[in-house]
Amino acid sequence: MSEQKYNSDKGYVALLGWSLSAVEAADKFDRRYVVVAPDWAEAYCKEHDIPYVPWNFERLNDRSVEIAQTLKEMGVDVSIPLFEETVEWAGAINSVLMDKPKLFGQAMLLRDKALMKRRAQLGGIRVGIFEEAHDKGDVIRFLKRVNQTLLKLDGDPNDPIHLKAFDKAGCLGHRVIRTPDEVDTIPEEEFPVLMESHLDGWEFAVEAWIHNGKIAFLNISEYVTLGYSVFVPATPDLEKYRDQIRGEIEKLIKTFDIDFGFVHPEYFVTSDSTMYFGEVAYRPPGFKVFELLERAYGFNAYQGLILSFDPKTTAEEIKAFFPKEVVDAKGYAGCFGVYPRRRVVSKLEIPEETENHDYFESHELTPPLEETVTKRTAFGTHWGLVYFFGDDPYTMRDLLKHQEELDFYV
Amino acid sequence: MNDHQPGSAVPAVNFDKLVQKLDDSIQVLEESRSFAKTGKLPRVFDIARRVLMQPEGCRVIEERAQRLESAGVYLGTDWADPGILLPTLTTYSLQSQNADTVVIEAFSELRLLAVARGAYLHPSVSAEQAHHYLTQVLAINLGLLFGMVGEAEREQGKLSQISQSVVQYVAHHIGYEHVIDSLIEEIWRILQQRPIRVSDVRKMITQIAICRADPQADLGGAGRGADRLISSLYGPTRACSEDPGTVVYEQRLESMDAQALQNEATGFARAMHDTGLVSPYHASFVRFILDDQDALLTEALGLSSTGRDCLLCYRELVCTLIREGVYPETAQGLYGMALMLERGILYQPPVAPALWRQARLSLCPDARERLQLAYGYHPQPGAWLVQGVLNMLGQPLGVGQGNNPTCQSARALSMWAYNDPDYLLQMVAWAARDNEIIMHFEGKSVSSAHSRSGVASEVTLDLDPVSLVVVPHLDRIYAEMGRMVSHREGDPHRWVNPEFHGWSAGRGFAINVDVATGKLDDLEGFIRHFYASYHPYYNGNQPLIHPQPAGVAVTDSAARFIGWHAITILRVALDPEGLMRVYFFNPNNDSGQNWGDDVRVSTAGYGERFGESSLPFEQFTSRLYIFHYDPLERGEPADVGDDELQRVVAGVHRSWGKDRVPAEALQAQPPPTQ
Repeated sequence: MSEQKYNSDKGYVALLGWSLSAVEAADKFDRRYVVVAPDWAEAYCKEHDIPYVPWNFERLNDRSVEIAQTLKEMGVDVSIPLFEETVEWAGAINSVLMDKPKLFGQAMLLRDKALMKRRAQLGGIRVGIFEEAHDKGDVIRFLKRVNQTLLKLDGDPNDPIHLKAFDKAGCLGHRVIRTPDEVDTIPEEEFPVLMESHLDGWEFAVEAWIHNGKIAFLNISEYVTLGYSVFVPATPDLEKYRDQIRGEIEKLIKTFDIDFGFVHPEYFVTSDSTMYFGEVAYRPPGFKVFELLERAYGFNAYQGLILSFDPKTTAEEIKAFFPKEVVDAKGYAGCFGVYPRRRVVSKLEIPEETENHDYFESHELTPPLEETVTKRTAFGTHWGLVYFFGDDPYTMRDLLKHQEELDFYV
Repeated sequence: MNDHQPGSAVPAVNFDKLVQKLDDSIQVLEESRSFAKTGKLPRVFDIARRVLMQPEGCRVIEERAQRLESAGVYLGTDWADPGILLPTLTTYSLQSQNADTVVIEAFSELRLLAVARGAYLHPSVSAEQAHHYLTQVLAINLGLLFGMVGEAEREQGKLSQISQSVVQYVAHHIGYEHVIDSLIEEIWRILQQRPIRVSDVRKMITQIAICRADPQADLGGAGRGADRLISSLYGPTRACSEDPGTVVYEQRLESMDAQALQNEATGFARAMHDTGLVSPYHASFVRFILDDQDALLTEALGLSSTGRDCLLCYRELVCTLIREGVYPETAQGLYGMALMLERGILYQPPVAPALWRQARLSLCPDARERLQLAYGYHPQPGAWLVQGVLNMLGQPLGVGQGNNPTCQSARALSMWAYNDPDYLLQMVAWAARDNEIIMHFEGKSVSSAHSRSGVASEVTLDLDPVSLVVVPHLDRIYAEMGRMVSHREGDPHRWVNPEFHGWSAGRGFAINVDVATGKLDDLEGFIRHFYASYHPYYNGNQPLIHPQPAGVAVTDSAARFIGWHAITILRVALDPEGLMRVYFFNPNNDSGQNWGDDVRVSTAGYGERFGESSLPFEQFTSRLYIFHYDPLERGEPADVGDDELQRVVAGVHRSWGKDRVPAEALQAQPPPTQ
């Protein structure tokens, strides 16, 4: 049951997409809210008395203005995208709600990885070499050109290139290509894709809440191994770049003309401390980073999201809500995504050394449904997360790294 | 400083930290909105599982019993209403391989312990109720209590530690003496139904005997009622009262005089008829007297004049069957033999020759293998089968389906043993010797060897010897017959039941559920028709002639529908209090069940014979959904009084028919006046 008591002097927000964590956070918060989600969520919302407007987020079309009008008539002040697929919807809806047409164009930029990189480049942000590929020939050509540029001779091992879908979140559809032979393994239906040169550096992600064009809270998430594990706050080794990173985010805010909301960019820092921009998303990150932040700092990141989007939020509220970065953290919270290591598995068995470790919190793994493990081609989807919490960032890092060598499914 | 070396030895568990994590996770659940609680449960369950693995775990959980419940760990599950929990089901959840099931069962047990100890005032369960429930749980999970580890625990792995420590923790605080006493009551209740398969009962009695012999276990005054049970297995007579072992006992027999042997014989017979259990010494004794003292057989079997006559007429056959089939391991066959002789069925011409065939039957490899898998290598499989045949003919209502969904096959075996014994013997011979049974369906032959899979994917081994050999065949035939009518409209039992069970099953068929919609269909007509066919006051006082297959909608103790179940209606008669009752056979293994809404199936005390279940006619009708009748004898629908009719209809609507009431019937009903 919704038990919300909202403050009618504050904004009225629409959550685009279904996320139970977000709904619960909103219900416990003082902003009036409504969930905009596909009709399969209707029964659940009705049963639990959750404010709800049905909408199927397919491609934008002629009818798109309907949902904006509906929300406007309801008195909604702003919509908040929860998933990659709802980012352009939020842009379209907010441009109507706030009467700011530029918001729609901004959302389109943030939805297309190639456009986003061009814009970043125009803003003076350093990016790697990238190109769009429409077929396999494009990929082979790019692979050759990149390695020519790197003055590789025939027979030298190639530097890899990365392929990503234009408009998918995180690691979905992400492939690493080293040789022309590997190009054949890409299914035709994945094209067109974005190709990027490989950057030898340390990859990390940032979560930044923005209010009135200023950074309200900036978190640095340290990846131990991309696609496997992440923890917050980062080790001092990475936190030492905080000022530099803050500068990069400010550049990003300026370049993309972002006034409010939340960004989740990825960067590489190379051995000579140069920052390369990877990509940016205008929605909450995957891998449960919001949950990790709550565990580490004690504030609810979704409520922070609502605050940073709500046009009626005051600077005082922002100041009171967000803790002081790093120093206010009670400890380090990390999680590890489990992939089965064997080809055939029959059951879930948490390794004893993991389960009995002081840092181990809980897991959300389920018993295997099938015995044969599908071979991973791209960066696939993990089978579930394991959560850790502790006092020392280096213990955390090594512990997360060590999990990669353990069997959770046997 | 980073001195942790990943990959080194398994770190020891920091229990205080773990408990802190548990408290944190409970707090998160408490603070969660009701619609989001499900998402918070996995963490609570997982941490609780790790807490329960620790020596102090049960105490920690018990202390948090009230908090856990109000935080919402039971929301949306059966455990939310502890009043309806069934002790028998705890065995399955405690032995589950699913960690969450084991943990929630452990939560619930420890919660009720807190209630029983007065630490938690529960809104819907009193301390006395909780105490009573827990004693039953302990009695049923005695194996866990005494650390008897079986296949289920092996499959379960580390989780079985939790089940064991919970049961042991509860027993420690409830007191062993309560367990033993209610266990004894439970054993008597089961024995009153005279099941063929008594290995579980034997195990429980053995556990009590061990417990009593252990000087460490302080039983107080408890367990005295177990004397008769223990002695009937381990020392029913003077010469074996201290359980000397069969070898010593056989030596003692050599030197006994006639009077001593006579005393032994009557002692054995009394113990056997008291309990339905047969001691291995009894088998040693009977084999001994067979050589030159077989006049004592009448006493040793405790026969009445009927049984004695029968024995005298067929002495040679009886002796042969004993020689072939009765060993200390298969002693239980003596009880079957005694009851079979009392039934007088040997006087039916084909039965004696069929038993001669049985005594010398050579078994096919498949049958041999199943018997050996279930019962071991000594005595040889043929002896087990002879024992099984004797028990089935002596106790036709003691057949159980084991842990198999094969109630139809078990029911058929029971019906033939009761009604048509030589047909049963024919089936056994075909299955055991030829590994094929052929039956006919509307003129077409159906072979068990050529049929595809049965209703049960695999028939388990927890069965009596006859079922063990015959049921896999019957099950395949039954399923094949079902497939043959699958294209017809309506309920398949209409055609399958009479063809499968034999000519005596009525060809007329009545059902009160519309197969297509699952809704109730002409309920009143069905009830009137059932009264007209079966109720002596409405059918011209005609007792039921042949046992008839029927189908009931089984409900749980909260009167919720569980499933359709096959039973046999045996007779309809007045009970000692003058109430009309239906006496029926239920092939499940323990028929004493609570079907909710005050419908409690009785197995003793209301004129039931061994193995019969009974219910007052009205209550029975309120759970009935299929019956058969002779279409040629069908009379007018009975003029059942309106009150009685409405009571039955209401009973259906309150239980399994709740969601099956057709829409228009609801509208036609007068608004409830309360």
